[in-house]
Amino acid sequence: MSQSNHSNYCLDKLIGFVGDDPEAIKNMVNLFLNTTPSLLNAIILSFKEGSSETLAKSAHTLKPTLDVFGIRDTYDLIRNIEQKAKRSELDETMDKQIKQLTTTLELVFQELKIDFQLS
Amino acid sequence: MDAFKIFIVEDDVFYGEMLRHYLALNPDNEVHLFKTGEECLKNLYRAPAMISLDYSLPDMSGLDVMRQIKKEHSDIPVVIVSGQEDISTAVALLREGAYDYFVKDDDVKERLWNVLKKIRENVQLRSEISYLKEEIGRKYEFRNVIKGNSPTIKQIFGLIEKSIKTNISVSITGETGTGKELVAKAIHYNSKRAKKPFVAINVSAVPRDLIESEMFGHEKGAFTGAVTRKIGKFEQASGGTIFLDEIGEMDLNMQAKLLRVIQERELTRVGGNELINIDVRLIVATNRNLADEVQKGNFREDLYYRLLGLPIELPPLRYRGNDIILLAKYFVDEFCKENKMKKLSITESAQQKLMGYHFPGNVRELRAIIELAAVLTDTEQIDESHISFNSADAAGNLLMEESSLAEYTRKIISYYLQKYNNNVLLVAKKLEIGKSTIYRMIKEKQI
Repeated sequence: MSQSNHSNYCLDKLIGFVGDDPEAIKNMVNLFLNTTPSLLNAIILSFKEGSSETLAKSAHTLKPTLDVFGIRDTYDLIRNIEQKAKRSELDETMDKQIKQLTTTLELVFQELKIDFQLS
Repeated sequence: MDAFKIFIVEDDVFYGEMLRHYLALNPDNEVHLFKTGEECLKNLYRAPAMISLDYSLPDMSGLDVMRQIKKEHSDIPVVIVSGQEDISTAVALLREGAYDYFVKDDDVKERLWNVLKKIRENVQLRSEISYLKEEIGRKYEFRNVIKGNSPTIKQIFGLIEKSIKTNISVSITGETGTGKELVAKAIHYNSKRAKKPFVAINVSAVPRDLIESEMFGHEKGAFTGAVTRKIGKFEQASGGTIFLDEIGEMDLNMQAKLLRVIQERELTRVGGNELINIDVRLIVATNRNLADEVQKGNFREDLYYRLLGLPIELPPLRYRGNDIILLAKYFVDEFCKENKMKKLSITESAQQKLMGYHFPGNVRELRAIIELAAVLTDTEQIDESHISFNSADAAGNLLMEESSLAEYTRKIISYYLQKYNNNVLLVAKKLEIGKSTIYRMIKEKQI
């Protein structure tokens, strides 16, 4: 593994959980890359469909994972999305927040794929 | 040691896998990951030692899952690990019986590790307690407690077997040292109440003023010195057995209170008003003849019949024939084992000496005699020189020896003279013989 200096993620918390074991870390990164896009899609889709309950649930599920990956600024962002969805405030601000979240995560996915040589 | 089984119930695949990996870093843990509440409930038969449960699950809420777990397995600790930061949710879950509640934040790793450590310690303690209880049960398996092949002892075995099948009260009588408390423990630890407490109270050893408080407890301020509430022996024995030793020594006032508690199955602590239900099995013991005490007016007849239940009369050791030798050999083996000594045997002459003694202190005295003999011997044998009787009951001893009538007379008069400080007139009066008989024997140097 070689984490680039410009990374939008930080693996310190993940290493705290799984230990300094490159193979285990790579497996967890792979799992993150396999599971997170579907959660992100669920957020985008439920916003489009106005399904605040599904949106709140998906945001709630994604929240701790973003924390573990130390992804810059996204923890507060996902927290806001979850709280607003719980209040059924699916407004323009939330649309912007979801777009911002999508951009950051797509960037992180790219960085992780490069850093861990995963396709 | 068996693996420490942990269930993780987490619908977030990544987070669940990460927790599984983290907890499996300890090779003693066996970690199973489930994505739904239903999957977890279906697998409860695998008896996890701990469950880490997410609050938000796709099929049911964490609260519902926990309620189901607690319904079937109330002793499994459930730790909620959730993204919910709502305090009221945490409070509700803790009230419903959650062991702990963590938010998935920076501290979750340390907190989970600490709580796991605590639960492991509790599990270990519980298993040690359970092992010790089984050990006590084995120790008091009645054929391990009461040794003997004599017909009277075989009858006692039969009575004990009957008593352990039911909750009937048991009254044990027998001379001091015959093993009344051991029989009471054997009954308790072989009965259905074995996992609940056995609480003994020696009625004669507690001052009269304190016996009620000792048995039924007291409230704070009930009397001078009652600085805190005290739980009495009856409450301590809840679900188990209470053993009232030397019941014949209980005064009439206390007998009336005890009768009421036995009849009503409830008590009130001294200085209190609250009625407390009790569920205890009663075993009493005495070395007095309670029927005689009833006749004399020293013991309430109604209480006597309440307590009598199944009477077990333990025979004095002197009436148990060869059991004396069997017990002596058992005690010497036990003593050698406990003190890591070589095995000792008891010579024929030592056995004869033991068989000729009347053991006023019964089995307890035999044990003391044998242990002393085991210490005194320098060989691998206990012979008659190592057996010494220190009984104060010299008259009883006297009758165990085969002698002529003249010799018995001489020994009896000597004993009385010693006892009454050589007061010939008093001894003559006590023995209803002429004083001249005693003076003659002294003159002839017979005594």
